[in-house]
Amino acid sequence: MSLLTTLTEEARLTLSNLSDAASDLAVPSVRLGVTGLARAGKTVFITALVHNLLHGGRLPVFQAAAGGRLAHARLQPQPDDAVPRFDYEAHVAALVNDRIWPDSTRQVSELRLTLDFESASFLSRQFGRGKLHIDLIDYPGEWLLDLPLLGKTYAEFSASSLARARAKNRTDLAAEYLACLASIDPNAAESEQDAQKLAATFKTYLKNCRQDAHALSMLPPGRFLMPGDLDGSPALTFAPLDIPQDASPARAGTLRAMMERRFEAYKTHVIRPFFRNHFARLDRQIVLVDVLHALNAGPAAIKDLEEALGEVMTAFRPGKQSWLSSILTRRIDRILFAATKADHLHRDDHDRLEAILQRLVGRGIDHAKFRGAEVDVLAMAAVRATREATVRHGGQDLPAILGTPLPGEGVNGENYDGETEIAMFPGDLPENPDKIFSPADSKDEQVHVTSEEIESQTELTDSDLRYLRFRPPQLDQTAEGLSLSLPHIRLDRALEFLIGDHLA
Amino acid sequence: MTDQNRQENRRPSRKPTAFRLDDKNVRLAEEVEDLPLASETIIQEALDDSLLPVETAPMPVRKSSSFGRWIGLGLGGLISLAVGLAIDSLIRDLFARADWLGWVGIGLAAIAVLGLVGLVLRELGALMRLRKIDDLRDHLAETAESDNAKAARTHLKDLISLYADRPDTARGRKTLQGHMSEVIDGKDLLILAERDLLSPLDKQARRIVMSSAKRVSLVTAISPRAIVDLLAVLFENLRIIRQLSHLYGGRPGTLGFFRLTRHVLQHLALTGGMAAGDSLASQVLGHGLAARLSARLGEGLINGLLTARVGIAAIAVCRPAPFVGSKGPSVSEFMNELVSSAEKEDTGKQGKSS
Repeated sequence: MSLLTTLTEEARLTLSNLSDAASDLAVPSVRLGVTGLARAGKTVFITALVHNLLHGGRLPVFQAAAGGRLAHARLQPQPDDAVPRFDYEAHVAALVNDRIWPDSTRQVSELRLTLDFESASFLSRQFGRGKLHIDLIDYPGEWLLDLPLLGKTYAEFSASSLARARAKNRTDLAAEYLACLASIDPNAAESEQDAQKLAATFKTYLKNCRQDAHALSMLPPGRFLMPGDLDGSPALTFAPLDIPQDASPARAGTLRAMMERRFEAYKTHVIRPFFRNHFARLDRQIVLVDVLHALNAGPAAIKDLEEALGEVMTAFRPGKQSWLSSILTRRIDRILFAATKADHLHRDDHDRLEAILQRLVGRGIDHAKFRGAEVDVLAMAAVRATREATVRHGGQDLPAILGTPLPGEGVNGENYDGETEIAMFPGDLPENPDKIFSPADSKDEQVHVTSEEIESQTELTDSDLRYLRFRPPQLDQTAEGLSLSLPHIRLDRALEFLIGDHLA
Repeated sequence: MTDQNRQENRRPSRKPTAFRLDDKNVRLAEEVEDLPLASETIIQEALDDSLLPVETAPMPVRKSSSFGRWIGLGLGGLISLAVGLAIDSLIRDLFARADWLGWVGIGLAAIAVLGLVGLVLRELGALMRLRKIDDLRDHLAETAESDNAKAARTHLKDLISLYADRPDTARGRKTLQGHMSEVIDGKDLLILAERDLLSPLDKQARRIVMSSAKRVSLVTAISPRAIVDLLAVLFENLRIIRQLSHLYGGRPGTLGFFRLTRHVLQHLALTGGMAAGDSLASQVLGHGLAARLSARLGEGLINGLLTARVGIAAIAVCRPAPFVGSKGPSVSEFMNELVSSAEKEDTGKQGKSS
């Protein structure tokens, strides 16, 4: 990024921070950044959070609610007029009535929740407003992968993308694109057809990587997977090219120059506004990570997830917040890393899931702690879709979970229709998180291990873990026909960490 | 260690499996909560092993010399023999005088023996209950440190059963039971237990200590003889210990009461009478304030503070759980109220005298 753009960006940010600080004098607000890659559960988290606060859900660990100090929570018009409203009502209706998860998010949306509370401390009861706005923003998780691109040139982006595409676990998926790339000369005269062909094959390759069997995460640029309203525009019609490291700058009129120009346009018109409007001014951040999805697909997916999260986390600005700095620049002073969908495994394994997450986001944690932000890691489920049970099977008692799998989900060759309830034992997570990260064994060895189960001593194999996706829970209704608040796991602890101090 | 290794190694052999619910061997977790499950119990043992140094007493217990014990044993035996002999000869004499008188004597002796047995049993029960409370406190303290959800559940179950026959804790017990069936981390669970089950008791404990401290300071201020306030302090302090122990679920008999008193004294000796959160500043300030008031009132204040200190030590000894989420009571918080009430008295007195 050139110095000039950096300076103008910073000036714009400072200006908007000043106006925010002025409006915070009336009623303080917290911008809660719900961060997560695609399918991590951002929409469900926001819906569950709002639902539990609005309906006075069971939140024993969230002190303000448990102590009865939270008088009232209500939805209010959001501050940004140009952003669509988060369709909370539709999401709740889908979860509660139809028992389906919300569709993947296609555009940015925002919601403002206002809490009326009574402070527990004497001073802030006298001088505080007793009100807090919480601004929540939902967006497609794919776009998050764009943030690291801000600091990259086209050549760097090409090099890293191609290195990944040619890695062992991706060559098959990228075959079509690589073939197309080989047939095109970057220094030939620019041609819209070539560019479109390249971009199309590149998009197919990214889509292939996302399938459940691979569950790869490091797939920038994000708009290629979830284009939003810019689909088909030149800014979205580019692809990485083979550029040698010591290559001279591209000559005007070549394909390479055109791609470079479009990449820069993508940065200016897509990434930068997105970052400026939604990520540069966060107070608190929760990073949702769907570890189980990657675990299903194996160590390669885990590694990819680790890389993606590591890159994304460097785009944020953690740090200690002081009253002066809060006027000029906003810093994220608390970051919570949460392994979502913890209801898909038994509570005995939650500690291990946390250990794996801790290892997975180690880079982000170090970055944040070094800058002085508070960090916590937990396993949670914003909506708890299962119950726990014990299954006696073959002389063993297995800790299992009860739930209705989504239609089409299957295990051991049996497929479910989305109506039957089953008990599922998903396998044990290893005590030592490093085992998850060790490279996959060859297939032969796996067979060997399964045939001699008793002697299987060390390595963890893919087939040891299988996490099904479950439908949202059936909610009980009171006699008056009111549905109770959504059940959850540790949502209250997350809330306490994220906004508890503002309500103290 | 080897045991633990084996368990860890055995784990990967459990393959992911799914079962239809019409399967006979699916049981709900809530129904089998207290039944030992083959796989779970193994894991639990491994966890509990690391938590097990139960026998470590909370406070250094002074060993009495074995010679003293011999003397006690011998003398006690002799006295019991003497008493037995005396009763025996008494009953013989009674029989010699008249048969019916002898029978009445035997009946009375039997009643006395029954009473004695009952007394011993009750004392033993009380001692065991105190020991149970001590153990529970140790366990909970360790659980708070290790943040172990499973251990927290088992020990909190003990805590709930300790208060099972106390209707005033019914609401707290029910709320806590609700929390325990949810997925909450060990330490958070302890904090919830403190908030929902123990905090009403804590409030009452504070009231007990406060009223005793006030009484002591008042008596000291108006008593004509030094011996009177000495007795008052002694009486109130012993009363605090007994009341707090009752409040927190211990039912100390005589022996248990001695034991408790000893523990309170040891606790005071170990902490130097300073509760957590007390600063030297508040002490100095307190004495300065006391000196500013009239001499008698100052003495009363100091005696009151002493009582408050004993009360805090007694709370630490009697409470079946350590303070996890909140800080325990501190002397300064008692002092503020003592000083303000003493000042009120002082001005009242001056107003009368003028």
